[in-house]
Amino acid sequence: MNYPFWDIPHLGSGWVIGLIAIYHVMISQFAVGGGLYLPMAERKALKLQDPTAKAAWLEQLHKHSKFFLLITGVFGTVSGVGIWFAIGLTQPEATSTLIHNFVFGWAMEWVFFMLELTTVAVYYYTWDRIPEKLHLKVGWLYAGFSAATLIIINGILTFMLTPGDTWIGVAGTGREASVFWNAFFNPTYWPSLFLRTCVCLSLAGIWALITASRLDGDKQPALKTAVVKYSTKWLIPSFLATPILMVWYVAMVPASQRAILSLGIDTIGAGTFSVVTRIALVIIITSAAIIGVTYYTAYRSPRDFSLSHAIAILLLALAATGSGEYGREMLRKPYVIGRWMYSNGVRVPHVATINHDGYLAHTNWVWNGQTDSSYSRGEAIFRGECMSCHTLDGYRSMRKLMEGRDGAAIESFVQMLHDYKPDSPYRRYMPPMSGTDQDVKDLANYLNSQINGAGGPPPLVTAGKLEAPKPPQPLLTAHK
Amino acid sequence: MTTKAITNAAYEWVDERLGISDLITFGKHKTVPVHSQTFWYYWGGISLFLFLVQCLTGVLLLVYYRPGAEAYESVRQITYVMHFGWLIRSAHSWSANLMIFAILVHMFSVYFMKAYRSPREFGWFSGMALLGIAAVFGFSGYLLPMDELAYFATKVGLQIPAAIPVVGPAIANMLRGGTEVGEFTVQRFFALHVVVLPAIFLPLLGFHLWLVQKWGNAAPPSIEALPKEERKTMPFLPTFLRKDLAMWLISLNVIALLASLFPWPLGKPIDPLAPAPAGIHPEWYFMSPFEMLKLLGNVLPGAIGEIGGLLLFTVGILLWVLIPFYDPNSSSGRRGRNAHYFGLVAVFALLATTIIGYWTIR
Repeated sequence: MNYPFWDIPHLGSGWVIGLIAIYHVMISQFAVGGGLYLPMAERKALKLQDPTAKAAWLEQLHKHSKFFLLITGVFGTVSGVGIWFAIGLTQPEATSTLIHNFVFGWAMEWVFFMLELTTVAVYYYTWDRIPEKLHLKVGWLYAGFSAATLIIINGILTFMLTPGDTWIGVAGTGREASVFWNAFFNPTYWPSLFLRTCVCLSLAGIWALITASRLDGDKQPALKTAVVKYSTKWLIPSFLATPILMVWYVAMVPASQRAILSLGIDTIGAGTFSVVTRIALVIIITSAAIIGVTYYTAYRSPRDFSLSHAIAILLLALAATGSGEYGREMLRKPYVIGRWMYSNGVRVPHVATINHDGYLAHTNWVWNGQTDSSYSRGEAIFRGECMSCHTLDGYRSMRKLMEGRDGAAIESFVQMLHDYKPDSPYRRYMPPMSGTDQDVKDLANYLNSQINGAGGPPPLVTAGKLEAPKPPQPLLTAHK
Repeated sequence: MTTKAITNAAYEWVDERLGISDLITFGKHKTVPVHSQTFWYYWGGISLFLFLVQCLTGVLLLVYYRPGAEAYESVRQITYVMHFGWLIRSAHSWSANLMIFAILVHMFSVYFMKAYRSPREFGWFSGMALLGIAAVFGFSGYLLPMDELAYFATKVGLQIPAAIPVVGPAIANMLRGGTEVGEFTVQRFFALHVVVLPAIFLPLLGFHLWLVQKWGNAAPPSIEALPKEERKTMPFLPTFLRKDLAMWLISLNVIALLASLFPWPLGKPIDPLAPAPAGIHPEWYFMSPFEMLKLLGNVLPGAIGEIGGLLLFTVGILLWVLIPFYDPNSSSGRRGRNAHYFGLVAVFALLATTIIGYWTIR
């Protein structure tokens, strides 16, 4: 590892965040939606006149709350912390910006998070131990706290996509925190909040179907029918509102970024970002499939509803969630924080300075290259400017994207990224290559040697014998 | 008259002439066995659904595809110029592969549930014929884009019919439309792919489905041995159909995911003078026979190996197709077990040779 640049060969560091985040979102949104599901279902059960039916419902909810506690309290919390590690390593600059802007927001988030964890434990362990009405109140309290965590994190997540004009106006002046609320209630805040709430409600129903499927339809036909049907109804808000909310959300994204969505309508060409269009299609079709499969397997045949049906629906939900989160990340390109910081951590107004003084002169880290060759400078630039999105031979592989180009063609490509002309198609999804003319040459040299095997580091000759190259040394050290 | 009355009258008019209510009553009375292996019953339906996707996407591709000399250019336009052309083409290719996979799963589940036994022999025979035609569909469709991979894979693939003694070369030349794979081959394969094969496939499929309706789903012997009151069933209409529809939706979603995340690529245009690119290999469902021939070729080099291999295949496939005749009924005990072991050996051989095949092309 070469901190601050995190080497994840083949997969790329972005996907480490992605995989943890998708897993986390599946669970954390269940924590919010399921937090409402539990007291709502409990209230419904308490109102039942038939004492046997009431007892059966409460027994089922007791079991479901154990499942809920384990999934959200263990897997949800651990993966949440995992995201912090991953984003801190992959995007230190952007993470720092988020921390400094939203100190108060994070503080609130963690307070609610602690309250959430406490109440869910109280809720589970006080079943049958405190009066029914008090237990229900604990449930409502949990629902409120978990909703608050979403309400807060949503402000920070949407800020990254659309920071809003007010914040952009003060960005870089040191007074960013003074416009906290403008940054928080940014243009995509509300559509995203409603959209995520709908997803939370759907996930509450989908996860509840997992425990409901374990009921024996032959022994408890009435209970299984009631619980399965009740759970499927949690998908209805999503079914009705998501299409409208999606349109609203996308409409609030700047047109230049929104254009990414249409790049793949007519092509699958590599390096053209056509994947975003395809991902959008997956979101739509998978969401529709979830509704259809749930209707046929659960709502229409609740007694026969099995664990494998429930898992099929959960996997579809995973595909939809994964695509949704991936699509949202891609929509932000070429930025990591809209209009302010490019996806490689370079701040938009700093490009001119870097172009004048050179990339390595302005990184926050002191360059510690072993040999001062064009190749090793190029490698350091590659790590800084390219590696947050590209790998050499895996995800968005440089070898594949640059295939068939010779040294001169690679250099003119890098130069084109550096010039970043207003009509360049790459402006839609890639940051400019920032640096001096020498930086362009160094990066092109490095890429050329990686792709065509030309102009690499000189072989080490000791006593007339060719030695194997030394293992990679850290190129940068963090003593600014 | 109210709308309801009009609808009822219209329905009665149609029903009197077509007997729709009889069909619905039939569907409601028809049952599907419920047991631990019920999952496998969906694979026939999944194969059918994937075939329907083939028809729909195939017709859409037909709108822009031009066989002959322009084949490559037209596929390039579909993939890189037409709006959502890549989607239709990817969905067509992916569902073709998934269809072969679903048919294979369907075939092995029928085999191990011994659903080929009396009175369902014709279901087994017609199913095998459908699989055979599906494989030819795959082989003929693979050439149509006329890219480098398609060209060389077809060139290699046609060596198999060419190896048949005496008549082989004539058959291969007829398929190619000459001695070399070229635009005439595309034209022929195109006619085969969109006219000849569907004309044979569709009536056979109708026959196959009619037999399923006539005899219903077979339960495995262990379930059939149970007394009637212990056997659980579900009505075909609406219960099984609903679950079938859910399976179709999931299949559609799998196609959408694969087509979106791994859109079907188009290789370089062909250059007949260039050497075959490294790693040319047949489609995955032809990998096993390809590898078996290769392995046999190592033991018996030359024409003897080729002819021996073809002979071995023919015998193997015949044994497989004719299984209802030598494993005919549930009282056959040991013979029944032998058929079971034969099936396991076949699965193992297919998997092993496929894996070796992919291993050795790396």
